[in-house]
Amino acid sequence: MEGDEILMQNIKNILTSYETEYVEDYKKVWIKTKLEKSSDLLEVAKALQENGLRTISTVSATDFLSENKIEMNYFFEDILTKRNCWLKCDIPREIENCSIDSITPLFAGADWHEREVFSMFGIKFTGHPDLRPIIVSQDFYDKTPFRKDFDWDAHEENIVENMNMIAESFANEEEENEKKLDPHGSDTILNWGPTHPASGPIRLKVHCDGEDVISIDPDIGFVWRALEHLVTKKDFIGAIVAVERLCFMDNINSMVGYCQAVEEIAGVEITDFAKYMRVVLGEVARLSSHMMGMAGFYNAMGLHTVMMWNMDMREFFLDFLESYSGARIATAAIEPGGVRYGLQPNMLMELQSALDKFDKTKDDIRAIFIKNPTMKLRAAKLGIITPDEVLDYALCGVVARASGVKTDIRIDEPYAAYADIKMDYVTQKSGSSQDRLIQIFEEMEQSIDIIKQAKKHIEEKIESGEFDPIKDHMVKVPKKLPKGEAISRVEWARGEVLMHLVTEDKATSPYRLKMKAPSFNHTMMLNHLLAGETLSDIPLVFGSLYICQGDLDR
Amino acid sequence: MLRVFDFFAHAKSESLWMAHFCTGCCSLEMAAAMGPRYDWERYGFLPTPTPRQADILIITGLVTKKMLPALLRTYAQMPEPKYVLALGACSFDGGPYNDSLAVIKNPTEILPADVFVAGCPPKPEAIISGMEEIKKKMKKGIPSAASQGGLWREMKF
Repeated sequence: MEGDEILMQNIKNILTSYETEYVEDYKKVWIKTKLEKSSDLLEVAKALQENGLRTISTVSATDFLSENKIEMNYFFEDILTKRNCWLKCDIPREIENCSIDSITPLFAGADWHEREVFSMFGIKFTGHPDLRPIIVSQDFYDKTPFRKDFDWDAHEENIVENMNMIAESFANEEEENEKKLDPHGSDTILNWGPTHPASGPIRLKVHCDGEDVISIDPDIGFVWRALEHLVTKKDFIGAIVAVERLCFMDNINSMVGYCQAVEEIAGVEITDFAKYMRVVLGEVARLSSHMMGMAGFYNAMGLHTVMMWNMDMREFFLDFLESYSGARIATAAIEPGGVRYGLQPNMLMELQSALDKFDKTKDDIRAIFIKNPTMKLRAAKLGIITPDEVLDYALCGVVARASGVKTDIRIDEPYAAYADIKMDYVTQKSGSSQDRLIQIFEEMEQSIDIIKQAKKHIEEKIESGEFDPIKDHMVKVPKKLPKGEAISRVEWARGEVLMHLVTEDKATSPYRLKMKAPSFNHTMMLNHLLAGETLSDIPLVFGSLYICQGDLDR
Repeated sequence: MLRVFDFFAHAKSESLWMAHFCTGCCSLEMAAAMGPRYDWERYGFLPTPTPRQADILIITGLVTKKMLPALLRTYAQMPEPKYVLALGACSFDGGPYNDSLAVIKNPTEILPADVFVAGCPPKPEAIISGMEEIKKKMKKGIPSAASQGGLWREMKF
């Protein structure tokens, strides 16, 4: 047996020593299992953690109304050796008995994920240190909006009372803060947001003493659209509209993740041409997102020139998306079965002009970027994340790689055509705010390289007649899907996106879609990174964490 | 005959400042409109971080239940004359989130908008032309829609 197989076998040995319904391989890097007893969870989690699976990607619940049970899904990951474990267990559905042990004391990264499940499904996590509702607006407190029998229409009838209640609760909070804190002292709770110019809609409740930050309590959910519930009302193609609105900055890759899950359940293999198109479109979206991220960061630091250059470059890549799909941002370009449109020759020329624009500008940006004294003085010592924290808090993407952790789903679990593309991990060392920005910039260069490889491949194959760019883009996916479930991971602009799709028999719409998005974990880090710093550091660290509120709230 | 008040209205309309307030995804295209290619500063628009100096409030797409009080409070803090521009399908009827009950489906019934810009999200050119429409309205001295009515007066915020 090879080394990897021994490591995988270790996980199986641990799992089989408990009572399980099954332990089986799932894809290449996953082991799927279901525990008989939910009371074993804590022990199993501990054993897995000791075996190296230190990261919990997400916690997701599925409500099976007809079987009167709720199924819990835990996704454990070992980022270093690329082994993953998908663990399930059933818990009773009645609201009084609906509880399970919390794994937050073991896995710090599970904190908000458990709070989210608590807010949406009313599942109590015994032993959770801070089980407050999160994301949902105040009118959903103590309710279970994502359960299948929740009556949204009845809830909506009281909208006026609910809205007034929400407004009152904000006012009450202010009053309580006044009472709680000494009126003669310098302690105060500042609201950073809900729409600070340096961020999107998020409210950080900053407890500060003068200028020093004591603690930060993020209040999120200002763009909560209940996307995971919304997709269950749409058919499999209509759900794309909701999935791509996870975040508009990089919408292509989230669609790829969802479509892969649908294709897996339908048992459809897409064409090579579509795979390469997904790479090209995905990297273009990643670039436009990275450029926006860099622009936002420099805007927060007061360096508008670099912001403008980035925004200018971004327009050229959006031009390509526009000529391909007809829309600059809401492209809806990926569909289950392939990509939505064929490729016209002039589109590749448009792409080439975007690549040229990048090549022309990148040296200027690099010169300003690295020499910039503001950057060196302010950002190099701020917001340092160690590799251990990356693993414990389940950070991913740019943030993880800036700390030197080699993780990239495109390499770890290749999807689309990434297996055929030459690429390596791009990492930095120190994990400071500066490194995260340099990381974004170097990843842009990597993306350009990937686009060039894929473009060359497509052009060659079109010339040799193996790809038909007009007809090859799509294979048929049946409208009705069989009963099943699938997970699919993609490397999104900001990190790992995990889609967990569950379907019923002869399904025309998803039964449950859990979308794990990276900003959720990154926002969890804010208190940790900023306690002890000053108020003026908040925009800088916040900007460098590359948080998008769309995928934070979903 | 040119009147003094006409002159004031003209001057005001040519230097519109908008409150830097984003409620949803359309703010991304709003940022593009501020960017170098579309550069709305050519038309006299400028984002300002404080509502106390703003002339225009832009409802950038969807408004959630949690966001609405903040939106109304920002509007109330702005000095007169103040106008509202609604971007995208969401601000009209919830758009793609019409089925989602976490989103307010009639934000412009609550806070009436003077100009709607269609699209999901609208293109930067469309946003700029929407702002130009507001300029015309200001020049003619037409009072803003939100000052004439809307549910926002009856709500707590």
